[in-house]
Amino acid sequence: MKEMMGHLPGKLFLSALGISVIAFIAVSFSGFLEEGNLFFGWMTPPLVIGIVFVIFWLICYMVYFFFFWPYR
Amino acid sequence: MVFTLGALLVFGAIVIGMAAYGYRVSAKTAEDYMLGGRTIGVVVMFFFVLFAISSAWTFYGFPGLLYTEGPGYVAFIWGSVLGFAVLYMLLGPRLWAISRINRYLSPVEVLAERYESKGLRLVLSVSILAFVVPYIGIQPLGVGAGFQALTGLPAIYGAIYTVVLLMAIVMLGGMRIVAWVNIFLGSVYVTALLGSLIAVVVTVFPGGLPEAAARVAEVSPESLSNPGPLGNYTPVLFAGTFVVGLLAFSWPHVVIGTMTARDKSLFKWFPLLIFVFGGLFFYIIPFVWGSLIAPAIIPPSELAAMAAEAGVSVQEEADRVVQTIIQRVLPEWFGVFVLMGVVAAAVSTAAVQLMTSSVIVARDIVQGIVKPDASDKEVASFARWSVAIIVILSLGFSIWNQGAMALYLTDVSVPGFAQWAPALVGGLFWKRATKQGAIAATSAGVIYLVLGLLITVDGSRVLLLDLHPVIPTILVNIIVFVVVSLLTPRSSEAVISQYFDEPDEYLKAEV
Repeated sequence: MKEMMGHLPGKLFLSALGISVIAFIAVSFSGFLEEGNLFFGWMTPPLVIGIVFVIFWLICYMVYFFFFWPYR
Repeated sequence: MVFTLGALLVFGAIVIGMAAYGYRVSAKTAEDYMLGGRTIGVVVMFFFVLFAISSAWTFYGFPGLLYTEGPGYVAFIWGSVLGFAVLYMLLGPRLWAISRINRYLSPVEVLAERYESKGLRLVLSVSILAFVVPYIGIQPLGVGAGFQALTGLPAIYGAIYTVVLLMAIVMLGGMRIVAWVNIFLGSVYVTALLGSLIAVVVTVFPGGLPEAAARVAEVSPESLSNPGPLGNYTPVLFAGTFVVGLLAFSWPHVVIGTMTARDKSLFKWFPLLIFVFGGLFFYIIPFVWGSLIAPAIIPPSELAAMAAEAGVSVQEEADRVVQTIIQRVLPEWFGVFVLMGVVAAAVSTAAVQLMTSSVIVARDIVQGIVKPDASDKEVASFARWSVAIIVILSLGFSIWNQGAMALYLTDVSVPGFAQWAPALVGGLFWKRATKQGAIAATSAGVIYLVLGLLITVDGSRVLLLDLHPVIPTILVNIIVFVVVSLLTPRSSEAVISQYFDEPDEYLKAEV
């Protein structure tokens, strides 16, 4: 983590992770999870929201670790 | 029953054969036994970690809680996925470099040397063992219940079978074979979990998962969204469960995995597998089992009646709902296959926890405090023989204190594992962190947690303010850590250089 704080892409990566955690918590309070909507006929809101966030973390990780991580 | 017992014997023979082979090819040094000679590559590491954290709990406890509480409990999984990735992305490289440069064998040793304190070594060892050891015993008991359901023989036979496999793997093979055996066990586990799900869906719901969801919408619509059938998963609990999952980065048996890495490239590739295989595939299988398939086939009212008839709580009955459905819907031979999957799940997790516990006993308590002049061979021997003692203790505790599986993990083990997190993160990234701060914070967090769990008024955990146990205890832990560290003398310059400058140079230089 120390190496990430030493350059801009690392700071952006850590910021993205931190903001996503706050966003996840914010979504918890949005009312979306209480709606009975089913996506693709079976995916419940708590599942959908998790998949969306995992994909976001995956993209952030791939961009940073494969292009900017100092120890790559 | 002959087929069942024969299949389990063949399965056990394969596992013990792998352990015996591991013993034959191992270098017999403490480093080889405890950390697999630091030669674990990314694929083996992935199976090692994924199936270390995916136990009988994933097969029984997780679907069981989704069944009774609704889909909100999945927040724990989303937090855990990010937590494990954070361990390997943020903490792992530094922890790996420090332990490799200094030949440290346990994460507790890393922190004891960072804070220059034998007292902290004892506090961390005891507190980690106190929360890991009981969890080990849950695994054989979980298998025992499935064994009894399938064969009609007493559950203790299934538990003894599991314990024999566990002890063989850990005592003979050590960390390398624990990791390699997890590939075999994990493959059996995934095949059983996914295979049974597909077979049940094909048999009962020709229209696939949408048909199952439509059925749940008819019989128990509240099971399809928050706050769930019991109304528990309010936004506060959902967010809190996510935060609890995030603390997975501090699970000791996962942290030790970072020290076994062959090279730093592992930390670049490992999160990819965690996000893709773990987050987008593996954990969705038990989710579908517990939140869709189980309530669609056995509605909550029917399960409640089954629990009353069996004289157990609804949650305990829900913990075995997957096994019940498999036995009700699929042919008998499938039940044996699934039981093998549960054995694989239980052994893969308990073996890593047992291995971690034995490393802490041998390296940190025996060599670090009681017998500092112990030779390398003696330490490896202590580690092997401590396994037997740990297994007996853990089984005894689990038999004495049986309860719902999922709640034990999230309410007791996870808060307990988290209590060393401030000392761990502070030790690696905060130069101002001191041994007094680490000792005071860990002790305060553990004592608060134990008292909070034990002292209840009308079923309410008043000391914990009725919050999840990890939230108030970790906050107190962090506050004590920061305040006491700022009020006490800094660590020596030599240690700061050893932990903050040398790893940077090593990570930049190491290819």
